[in-house]
Amino acid sequence: MTTPIDGARATVRRGRWITLVALAGLAGVYVLALRYTPEEEFQGLAQKIFYLHVPAAWTSLFVFTLVGLASALYLWLHDSRLDLFAESSAEVGVAFSAIMLTTGPIWAKPIWGTWWTWDARLTLTLFLFFLYVGYLALRAAVSDPSERARFSAVVAILGMLLVPFIHLSVYFFRTLHPRPVVLKPSAPSLPPVMLRTLLVSFGVCLLLYVGLVTMRYGLGLADRIREAREANDVA
Amino acid sequence: MSPEPPSNGGYMIAAYIVAAVIYLGYTVRLWQRTRRAFRD
Repeated sequence: MTTPIDGARATVRRGRWITLVALAGLAGVYVLALRYTPEEEFQGLAQKIFYLHVPAAWTSLFVFTLVGLASALYLWLHDSRLDLFAESSAEVGVAFSAIMLTTGPIWAKPIWGTWWTWDARLTLTLFLFFLYVGYLALRAAVSDPSERARFSAVVAILGMLLVPFIHLSVYFFRTLHPRPVVLKPSAPSLPPVMLRTLLVSFGVCLLLYVGLVTMRYGLGLADRIREAREANDVA
Repeated sequence: MSPEPPSNGGYMIAAYIVAAVIYLGYTVRLWQRTRRAFRD
């Protein structure tokens, strides 16, 4: 007979396999970007940071949108699986966000001449990162599962509302950050060979997200099963 | 004649190393957490 803990273990195992495939894909992205994608003539080799920075940024904004949607659905349906999915996704989203926020300044220094500037795009992105770190801290601090899910869902929905502002901030405010070259109403303004590497990298980031979030979801399931057992033992 | 591209490969290498460290570091940490959860 399959027990709930077996189900959690199977979920983790599935996540591990997907993650391993995604990490192999990530190695492929490194080779594709560094070896088979041409150097940009004005920015030089530093432009290749684009193939890490942009997919990580897209993935983190996509993931934080999912966290907000799952949280809104949780408040409506009170399904604890949605809360667990939101928690798992938020943690993985923070990792992608950390990559966006570290590779961005490393690219900015040789191109803009500064590591950081407090313009709207960068400041809002940093704020979103701190908001989701706060989301995870809030979850760790509240012990009642129902309160924890409700409080954190509100924070996640507020975080999701920032995402469109971040995307459009380069149109609303004067900023050093370039406007989108792909996610815009007109056709992508990028040579096909660079667009190919960018899209492959984004696909790998999404696969890595699926793998990591599946592992994290299985871990969350195991924790909840253990908490329920301990509560039963006390009762 | 087009100008020579700037030589800034060090920044590229640094960014690729930092990204690899974060990706692998988080994956390994999560892997260890799942192992510990099912060992207990």
